[in-house]
Amino acid sequence: MRKPIYLTLATSGLLALAACASNGGGTASSGPVGIVQIAAYTGDQAFEAQFSDSIDFPALYAVNHAGGILGRKVSLIQVDTRSDPADALAAMGKTLATSSNVAAILGPDSTSAATLVPLLNTHHQPMMISAGEAAYDRSSYAYLWRDVPPDPANGEAIALWAKRQGYASVATVFGTDTGSQGDLPGVVAGVKAVGIKLADQENLTPDQPSYRAAVERLLAAKPAAIITESDGPTAATFFGELRQLGSLVPIIGTSGTPSDSYFTPMRGAIGSANFNKYFRAVVVGNPVTSLAVKAFNASVLATAAKLSKPVTQWENNSFSESGYDAMITLALAMDAAHSTAGTVYNSYIAQVTAPGPGKQVVYTYAAGKAALAAGHKIQYIGAAGPLLFNKYHNSFGSQAVEEFPANAPAVVVGTITQAQVQALGG
Amino acid sequence: MSFYISTLLVYFFVDVLLAWALNLQFGWGGIPNFALIMFQAVGAYAAAVVSLGPDTGAGAFQRYVFGSDLPFPVPLLVATAAGGILALVVGMFALRRIRRDYQAAILLIVSLIAIQVVSNLVGLLNGSNGLTGVPKPLSGVLAGLTYDGYQWVYAAWAGLIALGVYLLVARLGGSAWGRALRAVRDNEDAAATIGLNPMGLRMQAFVIGGMIAGLSGGLLVDFLSAWSPAAWGYAETFAVFTAIILGGVGNNWGVVLGTLLVQVIFLQVPTFAPQVGYTGLIDALEWVLIGGLWLLCLAIRPRGLIPERRRTVAPPPGVAATLTPGPAAAAPSQGVSQ
Amino acid sequence: MLIIQAIGFGVITAALIAIGAMGFTVQFGLTNVLNISYAGAMTVGAFATFIAEELHLALVLGVLLAPLAAAAVTLVLGRTLFAFYARRGAGLFEMVMVTLAVNLILQFGIDAASHEQIYRFAFPQGASLHVGPFTFTVTQLALVAVAAGVFASLEFLLRRTRLGKALRAMAVEPRLARTCGIPTAKIVNVVWLLSGALAGLAGLAYVINALTIDASVGTNFLPLVLAAAILGKAGSTRGAVLAALALGVVTEEVAAVGGAAYSTVAGFGILAIVLLTRPAALAGQATGKVEVTV
Repeated sequence: MRKPIYLTLATSGLLALAACASNGGGTASSGPVGIVQIAAYTGDQAFEAQFSDSIDFPALYAVNHAGGILGRKVSLIQVDTRSDPADALAAMGKTLATSSNVAAILGPDSTSAATLVPLLNTHHQPMMISAGEAAYDRSSYAYLWRDVPPDPANGEAIALWAKRQGYASVATVFGTDTGSQGDLPGVVAGVKAVGIKLADQENLTPDQPSYRAAVERLLAAKPAAIITESDGPTAATFFGELRQLGSLVPIIGTSGTPSDSYFTPMRGAIGSANFNKYFRAVVVGNPVTSLAVKAFNASVLATAAKLSKPVTQWENNSFSESGYDAMITLALAMDAAHSTAGTVYNSYIAQVTAPGPGKQVVYTYAAGKAALAAGHKIQYIGAAGPLLFNKYHNSFGSQAVEEFPANAPAVVVGTITQAQVQALGG
Repeated sequence: MSFYISTLLVYFFVDVLLAWALNLQFGWGGIPNFALIMFQAVGAYAAAVVSLGPDTGAGAFQRYVFGSDLPFPVPLLVATAAGGILALVVGMFALRRIRRDYQAAILLIVSLIAIQVVSNLVGLLNGSNGLTGVPKPLSGVLAGLTYDGYQWVYAAWAGLIALGVYLLVARLGGSAWGRALRAVRDNEDAAATIGLNPMGLRMQAFVIGGMIAGLSGGLLVDFLSAWSPAAWGYAETFAVFTAIILGGVGNNWGVVLGTLLVQVIFLQVPTFAPQVGYTGLIDALEWVLIGGLWLLCLAIRPRGLIPERRRTVAPPPGVAATLTPGPAAAAPSQGVSQ
Repeated sequence: MLIIQAIGFGVITAALIAIGAMGFTVQFGLTNVLNISYAGAMTVGAFATFIAEELHLALVLGVLLAPLAAAAVTLVLGRTLFAFYARRGAGLFEMVMVTLAVNLILQFGIDAASHEQIYRFAFPQGASLHVGPFTFTVTQLALVAVAAGVFASLEFLLRRTRLGKALRAMAVEPRLARTCGIPTAKIVNVVWLLSGALAGLAGLAYVINALTIDASVGTNFLPLVLAAAILGKAGSTRGAVLAALALGVVTEEVAAVGGAAYSTVAGFGILAIVLLTRPAALAGQATGKVEVTV
C-alpha cells in the first residue's frame, strides 16, 4: 500500500514543480501584440473555424499592413475549444498562463461563453464575443462587448420582414444541429410578436434519407412562407421533396444560412431559377458599399490563400465583416489609449465607435490610426455598419435582406434597423 | 498560472472519481462498461436542470425538462441519484449473463445512441447546444472571494469529495461484499454454487459505480457552468479505460496514478507543443495516441503499473489443518481476458 | 399513407444495414472477434470513394475503391495487430478492447487528416420512380439490388462452394478443421478481406444516402449494424438480413410516426427487449470455451 502512494505523490510533486517553474503572465510591452481567437477548431462545431479564419486573417492583414498597433505587429493566438466547455477552459487557462502578450479576445463562442466569460472578465481581457445567447443582452461584465445581434434579434428581424411582405402565416423548418437550433427561439418569439400565425414547426434530424412526413405536415398547414436554417444536405433533401410533393413558397433563411455549403445543395435540389426566385436571407449588417466594405473585401482577397474556398463567399459576408470590425475597433482603441493593457483601453472601445460632434469619421484602420496620431477623435464605421454600443456593451446594427445570385456577391433588397428590432421588444 | 493549475486539479479529482467508478464496475465487477461517460453525463445534466430554474418556453434560449432552482448541495445529490437510476435501468438488460464481448458491444451501442437521442430531441436537454449558465454553487455566499480564490476553494471541495469516495471504495474493496464481487468476476459458476447472487452483486456494483460517475458529472458541471453532447463522446470512456489499464486495474491507487498519467500528463502536455500543421491537429491526434497507448498497455503490462493487490484471508481457526495448499491461489484475473 | 410509405424507406435502410451486418457477422461467426474497428473500415471505404471523386476519377473506379480500400485495411489489421494479440492468448473480451483502440486510431486519424470538417458528398441519385405507393430513386433501388446480390453471393459461397464448407466447419470446430487439412490461415485471410470489402461497401452506401461525409460516419452507423448482427446470431447471413429488415422497417416507421429522434432508439429497443426476455438465445452462453480464431 505504501509504494503506490509514494509513486503517486512523487509524480504529482514533480508536476507541481514543473508548473511553478514555468511562469507566464503580465502584459508585455514589446514584441507582437497577441490577439486570441477562441473557436472550435475540432469537434462537433468545427465548422466555426472557417468563419473565424475569414475574420482573423483579413483583420490582421488590415492592421499589420498599416503598421500594426503602437508600432508592434499583431499576432494571432488560436485557442481551440474542441467544442467542449471543459477543454475550452483548460485551453484558455493554459494560454493565459503561458502567453504574456495577450491583449484582446475574439470570442468566446456559444459553447465556451458561460465557462470563459467570467474568467476573462476577471483577467481584464476585453472580449468581442460571438456567442448569441440572449443572456448577454443585459450583461454586467465590464470587459464584454458584442457587435453581433443576439440570436433572438435575427429572428425578430425575419419576422418584421415577413410582416412587411404581407405573409399571413409562416412555418419554421430548422435542423436539430447546434448551429441551427440557436436561432429558432428568436424566430418563434418574433413571429408571435408581430402577430403572424405560426402554422407549423418542423425540426429536422440531419442526414435522413427523406423528410416526407415533415413535408406533408407542412403542406397541410399551408404557410405563406417558410423560415429556415439547417445544414445544406438536410435543406436540399427537405426542399427538394417539397418541390416534388407540392409547390415552393418564399423561403427566408436566417443569418446562419448564407454559405457555399448551403447554397450549392439547395440550388441542386430546387433548381437555380427557383432558388433565385424564392430564397432570401436576413443577415447581420447592412453592407452598403462603403469604403469599409471595400477595405474588407480587399483584405479578404489579399489573404485568400488562408481562407476556405470559394473566397467569394466571404466577400460581403456580414458575419465575417462584424468580426473584422470588432478587431479593427479593438486595435483603434489600443491606439487611442496608447496601451495594450485591457484595464486602460477598455473604455476607449466605446469612444472610438460612438458618434459625436467634432469626431472624424473613418472607414479603415489605416485612416483611423492616422487620424488618432494627428490628435483627432474618431468614429469608426465598419464594414457591417456603425457600431453603436448600448450601455450593456451590445451593438447589433441593422440587418439586411439579401438575395443571392450565383457566383456573385449578394444583393440587398431590404433593411431592418436596430431601432425597429428593439421596438419589437428585442 | 494559478488558475490553470486549480482547473487541472478539479479535472483531476473528477477524473479520479470516474476511475474509481470504473474500477468498481470493471476492475472488481468484471463489467465492461463502455458506456461509462454516459453516467457522468446524466449526472451533469441532472445537476444542471435542477439548478437552472425553469426554462421559460419559446422566448428563452434553452429548452430542457424539469427546471427547478434547488440550492447547493442538493443538485449534487440529484446527480448521484440520476447516475444510480440510469445504471439500474441499463443494468436490467445489459447485466444479464451473456458473453463479455457482447456485453461490451451492447454498452457501447447504448452510449452511441444516447448521444444521438439527446442531440435530436431538442426539447429534452437543449439538443446539441447543450445547457449553459449553470450557476456556480455558493457564489452568493462566497462572493467575497476572488475568481482564483473561488477556484481553489472548489478544488478543495472536489478533493474532499474524492476523499470521501475513496474511503467508500476502499471499504467496499476490503469488505465481504467486495470479496464476493471479485469471486463472481473470477468464476461465476463457483460463486453461484456457494450461494452468492451474481446478478445481484453485479447490479449493486454497477449502480454504485453509476452513482459515483453521476456525482462526478454534477461536480464538473457546477465548475464549468455548461454541458453539451460534445463533452461525453464515446471516446471519453476510453480515456478512463486507458487510465485504469495503465495504472492498474483493480487497484484504487493504481487508477489514481493512471488518471494522473493519462488524463493530466498525457492529455495536457501535447497542448504545450509548438503548433504543427493546422490548429487542432494535435488535439485530434490525441485520441490516436490514447488508442496507441491502450494497445501498448495491453501488450506489455496488461495488469497495469500497480496491479491488483492479492488479498488473502486467513482461514478460520481449526480449518487450517484440513486445507491442502493447491496451485497458488488462482491469480486474480485482471478482468481482462475471458 | 405515410405509414405505408415508411415501409419503402425501411427497405432502403434495411439494405444499407444488411450489407454491413452480413460483412460483420461472417467475420464474427468465424473468428469470434467482435470487431469494433469495422466502423473505421466503413469510414475508410466511404472516404476512398470521396477522395476518388475529389480527384475526378471515373465513378465506377471510385465505387470499386471503397470495398478495396476497406478490405486492404481490414486484412492488414487482421494479420498484424489482431493476430498479435490473439497469439498472446487474448480472450474474447480482450480482443474487443483491441479492436476498440484500433477504431479510435482509425476514426481520429481520419478526422485529423480530413481537417475535422464535414464534407458534402455528391453522388448521382438518378430519377425518382413510383412503385405503387412508394417512391424510390434509381440509386436507392440499386442499393437494394446490391444488398440482395451480396446476400445471394454469400449464400452461394457458404453453401455451394468448398471454401464455404471449410468456413462453416472452421466456425464450429476450428481445431478439428485444422487437423482435417483445411488451410485455416488462408481462410481467415479470405474472411478478413470479405468482411472489409462489405464494410467499405456499407460505408459507401451510407454516405450515398446521407450526402455528407466526415470521420464519424462509421461510428454513427455502427449501432444499427451491430444490433442487426447480434440479433441475427453470429455467422448467420440469413439472420443478419432478417434482423436488418426488422430494424430498417421499425426505425423508419418510428421516424414517420414519432419523429426521427426516436428512430435509432426504437431499433435498439428491439435488441434490449430480446436481451431482457431471452438473453441466451442471441447473445451466446457466457460459459463454454469459445476461442478466438485468427
